[in-house]
Amino acid sequence: MAEKMDIDTSNGESKEEEKTGGPVAPAEMSTEKIISTNFALINQAVDSFDPRFTLRALRSIATLRKREDFAQALGAGIRQAFPKESNNARRVLEEMLPESVRQQQNGSAETNGKKDEVEVVEIAEVWAYLGVLVQVYLLDTASHQAGATFSLNLVSKLRSFNRRTMDPLSSKAYLYLSLFHENLAPLPPSPQSPVLTLRPTLLAALRSAVIRNDSDTQAAVTVLLLRNYISTADITQADLLVAQTQFPASAANNQVCRYLYYLGRIRAIQLAYTEAHSNLEAATRKSPTTGAAVGFYQQATKMLIVVELLMGDIPERATFRLPVLEKALAPYFKLVQAVRVGDLGGFVKCVEGNEGRFRGDGTYTLILRLRQNVIKTGVRMLSLSYSRISLRDICTRLSVESEESAEYITAKAIRDGVIPDSSLDHEKGDLLTHSGRDVYGSTEPSEAFHERIGALLGMRDECVRAMRYPGNRNREAGIEAMKARERERELVGEVLEAEDEEDEEMGGGMDGL
Amino acid sequence: MAEHELYHIIHQLEKPHNLQQAPQLLSKAKLGLLHIQALVPSSDTTPQHLHIATSVLEHGALLSIRLKDTEAFTRYYQQLQPFYSLPHDRWQRDKRPSNQSKVTGLYLLLLLSVGDYAGFHTVLEGLEMSSGKKQIEKDELIQYPVRLEQALMEGSYDKVWGETKGERVPSEEFAVFSEVLINTIRSEIASCSERAYPSLPISNAKNLLFLDSEGAVIQFAQARGWVAKEGRIYFPQQEAEALAAEKDVMSSSNTVIENTLGYARKLETIV
Repeated sequence: MAEKMDIDTSNGESKEEEKTGGPVAPAEMSTEKIISTNFALINQAVDSFDPRFTLRALRSIATLRKREDFAQALGAGIRQAFPKESNNARRVLEEMLPESVRQQQNGSAETNGKKDEVEVVEIAEVWAYLGVLVQVYLLDTASHQAGATFSLNLVSKLRSFNRRTMDPLSSKAYLYLSLFHENLAPLPPSPQSPVLTLRPTLLAALRSAVIRNDSDTQAAVTVLLLRNYISTADITQADLLVAQTQFPASAANNQVCRYLYYLGRIRAIQLAYTEAHSNLEAATRKSPTTGAAVGFYQQATKMLIVVELLMGDIPERATFRLPVLEKALAPYFKLVQAVRVGDLGGFVKCVEGNEGRFRGDGTYTLILRLRQNVIKTGVRMLSLSYSRISLRDICTRLSVESEESAEYITAKAIRDGVIPDSSLDHEKGDLLTHSGRDVYGSTEPSEAFHERIGALLGMRDECVRAMRYPGNRNREAGIEAMKARERERELVGEVLEAEDEEDEEMGGGMDGL
Repeated sequence: MAEHELYHIIHQLEKPHNLQQAPQLLSKAKLGLLHIQALVPSSDTTPQHLHIATSVLEHGALLSIRLKDTEAFTRYYQQLQPFYSLPHDRWQRDKRPSNQSKVTGLYLLLLLSVGDYAGFHTVLEGLEMSSGKKQIEKDELIQYPVRLEQALMEGSYDKVWGETKGERVPSEEFAVFSEVLINTIRSEIASCSERAYPSLPISNAKNLLFLDSEGAVIQFAQARGWVAKEGRIYFPQQEAEALAAEKDVMSSSNTVIENTLGYARKLETIV
């Protein structure tokens, strides 16, 4: 019965959605109503052991936090879930809310009347959910110190529960814990930042998550640890973490995106550009490109562009014209232009002018390494355009100080394969280019095709693996119906047999007469 | 008192001609540090102890450079790291250890000479994060390896040559690395020249390779397998390359077959 009522409420919610058209729906419901519906969803999740309901409840956090009456609704929700005021759990949560909310005893009397519509059981998941909401509230009011202590408390309690239905909630709790610590003074990248004290906690959480097979928390905590290490530039430690742990394959898409992004950053700093490029490309492909999460897409694309430049490829111009990316990538566009032409002076000017922005994005040190790329591209342009060019002219074009430097630079460029089929004439001091190399005659096109085909096939495999078949419930109902039918058939068979026997007896009896 | 002993040892270490006895003195000093529990900084180590500990370890680092013991130097560097990451208020007199940039600069140079560019950039990132760019730019001892790395990556080896010669070197410990660096760039230039020039007259080769005499050039050429005839050096590598390119076609047909079979297999699953 309770289940049926829950289904009705959730159906009611979906009907409202249909009426008002999509994501505008929860605006019709009051904040308190949303919280109570979420309690119902969480109950359902615990009963049916299906994480999708918890995820739906968590998704409403984004709409909840923008409401003005969030604190009041939260207080009402706490009172609804834990009616006894002396309850320890309730007290822990209420401590974090402002005084005004706690005093609202009278206002909630009305909502109490509607309480029997939804059965709210005092289960730990509801408490955890309210804990996460309190964290969100504290974060939005920028009370970082209080938030940090509350989160530590919350997280240690959550760790003591070993319940799989709590996993999505605990991964959110860790996320907010990390966010609070990042905002405490002294801010990272100072070596005294409190994020360093957070590391043992996160590592312990990772251990327990792996032992309990809790892939949500495992993914979330790994990502948070990497973020932690990168913020203080402890790249070797981050690298070791990646080498020693396995990222769970069943993690949610957004965690996978973040993981790939941080991994790409680490590899880029370690000069493993090809690996960094594949990671960052996967991150950009998987990330959502619209809505509130577009910031991640912008950030990942910035990294991707810098890594592509470092590898010697020029990113496509079309990327810079996407409407969501246009403003964010403006300084990078100028950078790409300077590198493409081989203009060292323009490059230096661009870097100096946008230093602040690049530092904020964390790409500044990588961009400094681009200096040699500019020179290489410059040399390549010159070798393509001239069949014979004197070293003195190269010297002026590339803004290099001396002819000898130009000679060494071109020799190195030839050795590195930047300008194949060239040679230097030392006596006359010229660079000669022998053209006539047919690209299609070599294996390059087939290799490029092979890479692309491999990537697409991989994507298809992933899609197939990610497909889920809906209608679990229907299937269960179907199975039950089948079983019912079988039983009926058996019964009918038995009855018929019994009749036959009777008939036989009867008939036998008659015969006997 | 252990501290008196340590001061005595430090004083002895600072005298320049004690190079041979240095390792023993250093072991004694480290034992002394352990006695006053200052080898690893903790929250209750006094600033005085911190100063003593850092000067002992720094002397150890610099002396091991002079003795060309790179392993010991790396060890000292790692031991100094926790001291360097302490905040300013732990050092009472507002005087941070004076040799910090020197030791860091030397470590960067060591990474460069070994060719560990990934490690070099990682350390540099860490420095930028903790001290900020302005401070690093003003610090000549750190700018030296940074400039060298830039020049090496670009390929302007004459700049590297100029930096390692004489006056531009910030201090004598850096000079120890100059030899190693010059050998590195010599082999780099040699491999570049093999690909870039069809042939070179010996006098030009002498200038390019920063060698002192023509005899040295011929020796070097023979060591690398070049042919020296009539006052010119011929580089034989191009022919080997051409052969390799021809073989390429045969081996590539193997790859093409493998690839195509793979595609066929995968395509069958997509129906």
